Amino acid sequence: MSSLFSTSLMSSFPEDLEISGYCKELLFFFKQRYVTFVDCLILAARPVKVCQNCSSSYSRLQDIYRNISDQVGPGNESCRDSLLSSDRLMVVYQLYSNLQDLWTSSNCEKCINNRSHSLTNDTLNFLSTLNQTLTCFEKYQLGNHTELCKSCKKMYGDVNKLYGRMEKNDTMCIDLEDAMNMTRRLWSKNFNCSLPRDETVPVLAVSSFMLFLPVIFYLSSFLHSEQKKRKLIHPNRARSYTRLMNIQDKQS
Amino acid sequence: MANITKKVSWSSRPDETGATGETTPLLNGSEQPRHSRQMSGEGAIFHIGRHGAGDLEEEMTTEEEFLRGRPKEIPHNEKLLSLKFESLDYDNIENQLFLDEERRMSYMGFRCLEISRWVICALIGFLTGLIACFIDIVVEQVAKVKYNVIKENIETFTEAGGLSISLILWAVLNCSFVIVGAILVAFFEPIAAGSGIPQIKCYLNGVKIPRVVRLKTLVVKVCGVICSVVGGLAVGKEGPMIHSGGVVAAGVSQGRSTSLKRDFKIFEYFRRDTEKRDFVSAGAAAGVSAAFGAPVGGVLFSLEEGASFWNQMLTWRIFFASMISTFTLNFVLSVYHKKPGELSNPGLINFGRFESDSLAYTFYEIPLFIAMGAELLLCLMSAVLFCRYVHRPCLQVMEATLVAAVTAAVSFTMIYFSNDCQPLAPDNTEVYQLQLFCADGEYNSMATAFFNTPEKSVTSLFHDQPGTYNPLTLGLFTLTYFFLACWTYGLAVSAGVFIPSLLIGAAWGRLCGILLASIFSSSSTWADPGKYALIGAAAQLGGIVRMTLSLTVILVEATGNVTYGLPIMLVLMTSKIVGDYFQEGLYDIHIKLQSVPFLHWEAPATSHWLTAREVMSSPVTCLNKIEKVGTIVDILSNTSTNHNGFPVVVQVMEGDVPAKLCGLILRSQLIVLLKHKVFVELARSRLTQRKLLLKDFRDAYPRFPPIQSIHVSQDERECMMDLTEFMNPTPYTVPQETSLPRVFKLFRALGLRHLVVVDDENRVVGLVSRKDLARYHLGKHGLEELHLAQT
Repeated sequence: MSSLFSTSLMSSFPEDLEISGYCKELLFFFKQRYVTFVDCLILAARPVKVCQNCSSSYSRLQDIYRNISDQVGPGNESCRDSLLSSDRLMVVYQLYSNLQDLWTSSNCEKCINNRSHSLTNDTLNFLSTLNQTLTCFEKYQLGNHTELCKSCKKMYGDVNKLYGRMEKNDTMCIDLEDAMNMTRRLWSKNFNCSLPRDETVPVLAVSSFMLFLPVIFYLSSFLHSEQKKRKLIHPNRARSYTRLMNIQDKQS
Repeated sequence: MANITKKVSWSSRPDETGATGETTPLLNGSEQPRHSRQMSGEGAIFHIGRHGAGDLEEEMTTEEEFLRGRPKEIPHNEKLLSLKFESLDYDNIENQLFLDEERRMSYMGFRCLEISRWVICALIGFLTGLIACFIDIVVEQVAKVKYNVIKENIETFTEAGGLSISLILWAVLNCSFVIVGAILVAFFEPIAAGSGIPQIKCYLNGVKIPRVVRLKTLVVKVCGVICSVVGGLAVGKEGPMIHSGGVVAAGVSQGRSTSLKRDFKIFEYFRRDTEKRDFVSAGAAAGVSAAFGAPVGGVLFSLEEGASFWNQMLTWRIFFASMISTFTLNFVLSVYHKKPGELSNPGLINFGRFESDSLAYTFYEIPLFIAMGAELLLCLMSAVLFCRYVHRPCLQVMEATLVAAVTAAVSFTMIYFSNDCQPLAPDNTEVYQLQLFCADGEYNSMATAFFNTPEKSVTSLFHDQPGTYNPLTLGLFTLTYFFLACWTYGLAVSAGVFIPSLLIGAAWGRLCGILLASIFSSSSTWADPGKYALIGAAAQLGGIVRMTLSLTVILVEATGNVTYGLPIMLVLMTSKIVGDYFQEGLYDIHIKLQSVPFLHWEAPATSHWLTAREVMSSPVTCLNKIEKVGTIVDILSNTSTNHNGFPVVVQVMEGDVPAKLCGLILRSQLIVLLKHKVFVELARSRLTQRKLLLKDFRDAYPRFPPIQSIHVSQDERECMMDLTEFMNPTPYTVPQETSLPRVFKLFRALGLRHLVVVDDENRVVGLVSRKDLARYHLGKHGLEELHLAQT
């Protein structure tokens, strides 16, 4: 350890190149909030509850980053250049933009009120409906699955409908998508409530009827129509040539 | 002479003698004029026939003469040439009027002409692009409504039961669209059936296909394409764009519409076949470039498939038209997609970009690609063409309807029984996905292939993630779609074959890719089946249409990735070689079945021993320099010969002695002359009569009235007509010993319509026309001769 320290940068740079105390402070806050947010994210990774749990800590991280990049501190001092872009690695910037991308792709803004940082009414409504369905599932889980399919069908259908509507309105975030996916998987795979394929006979009958029509059509048109005959025309040629051809015909 | 195979010679066949022949009109040209000569009573026309020794005539027995005159009937096959088709006059007629006009025209006049050519090309590109947009947008909107209705219906009935009703709904919707399209085509404009590429090919080759470049054809074509694509047939909208471009070009360049009876009095100079052809080739190029977003490919298409002539200035102008067309399409679609100015929608079919790393290929994949090119599926396709017995319009409509119904039924059954479920992708909002019996949150992957417009299916085959389709689905899809496409081709609906072949090719290409990936699972290079889909599509399309250079460039431009040039080229080469071994290309078969006298790139090999003497028609109906009106009217109204070009000679001799050639005059010119009554006697009596100008000929173009509609009184029949001023004084001639390939080259390069064969004293001994040349072709047993037939 001591040898490492000895080779590291001991002496400090002249004062104008050092970062100020104010910036140091900002950097420290950034670190704290960053760690909090990442903690939250990892805990909410599976099943996905990112939007529900971490939106407030994300907004706090956003605030501090905004402070670094936009705000001017005491003495008209900006930390933007010194913290964000004074070296090739740009650690602060890269870390933040990674998380920003993650947040954007989660679509969490769609489920969260911008001002209060709480879930929107639509989202809450959906979650409660979903919870009802899940309670229903739990209730019948142990018994016969066909009974579950019958009893929870209406609730499940409602959730599906609601989901479809929200999808169309584009008010969908990753939490809801994930929850819905899990529910759907439960419904179709675990409880096997998918629709059965029980109309094979009528479908086959109708389609084979349609396949049969052209057979009749072609048969009848084949029998009833005769192919057009073409009249051959004899072009007029030089006589000598015709005669030669005649001779050739006779020979062959 | 020994290696020519003749199935039926013109001479007598013993088994034919029993039939009645007295009342049959004599169709042999050599006999018919004899009658007319008797009718006119005067020796005004003569037939300069037979050269060589005079004693040959006696050897022809009277029975042979009689038999030669009787038409022989045979069933329609591909070894016929139809008399219906006439040639276009690409040769400039340098008669006195033309020279006068040229002298009168100032330097500025020529500059203006040149500029107006460019303006016309811009207009062609612009209008073609607009038509492409119109088709694209209408198809998309109507298809959206149709598929959404069916989708909702299927969704309700999956739950409630009664899916057979959705099947019927689908079939009925398909049928109703297709019926409209088929009725339009079958009853209003049969020439608009199919893609129109063979027809445009023939037009540019110099064959006048009746009604091919009319406004009515364009309207029927556009509506027909929309109906058949929306109707869910296995067809595409790309091929017809080429025809549409051609029609637009022919219309715009004339500055008037005969159908609408509007004459805008502009571009009058361009009202002749030569100029019109140049513009039609620009139109075809603009059509290709609008269809595929491939301006260079469009130009090369015109060069390869179309024009038998070429010049550098024209190439540049055609490229200009193509570019304008792509740009117009691009711009309008960008506005339609609400991203104005973002010019990234080139072409009706967008292959999407092949740029990611996994789509790169390495050199050791090239042999694989070539092997894929060698696989062939097309032989069946052409076989289907031969067995169409359906000729009557109402039956054709019925047939199309049935095909539509069966397409729907087959697609539905495939989707119904498919067990291939895939999880929903987040961004596939434009594709109509069906869930059916899949688990919630998944969709039926057979439905992405069948329940979609073909263009969308192609794109999804190219670009969907690996694992989107399972091999069984793809295999079944390829097979079914192949049969459907074969069956659909040749229906009386206007639609192209590009997209179905791309789709089939992409499906089996993707299948190959998946299989390869499963064999060599260790290597990541095999990961993306998208590139195999592309290669398969190229191979299939190349095998069907047999285009080489232009198709390579079109595909490279459509994918937007130049590095794919090499594999695409190799694949197209292989598929062409393998394909030519079995069958000709689809368009060539089409042209043959239509009995069109088409001149290919080169004369058949081993035909040098044939000379002009054997090829030519003889005797020739000639006219005097100063000819009696009655004679001209008689010759023109002789329905059995229906000649179009008449050598003008100094003085027609008695008997069959050839006379000296001094010019060539066309039927159309004679008709204009008769209509304006340019008779020597009248000119003498009415000194103030206006001199006939080239404009009068242009005004009558292109629909010259038939001779029956021109009234010539009994007195006028005795008048004389002086042809000197109007005939082409310097027609192309060849000596009798010229070989067939040499004559062929003249026809092909100069776009000739008539070539006079003269002896050493410049006396007319025969006339070579397009049909005389086109009847020779290289068959399985050496050189074969096609028969002329009436249709």
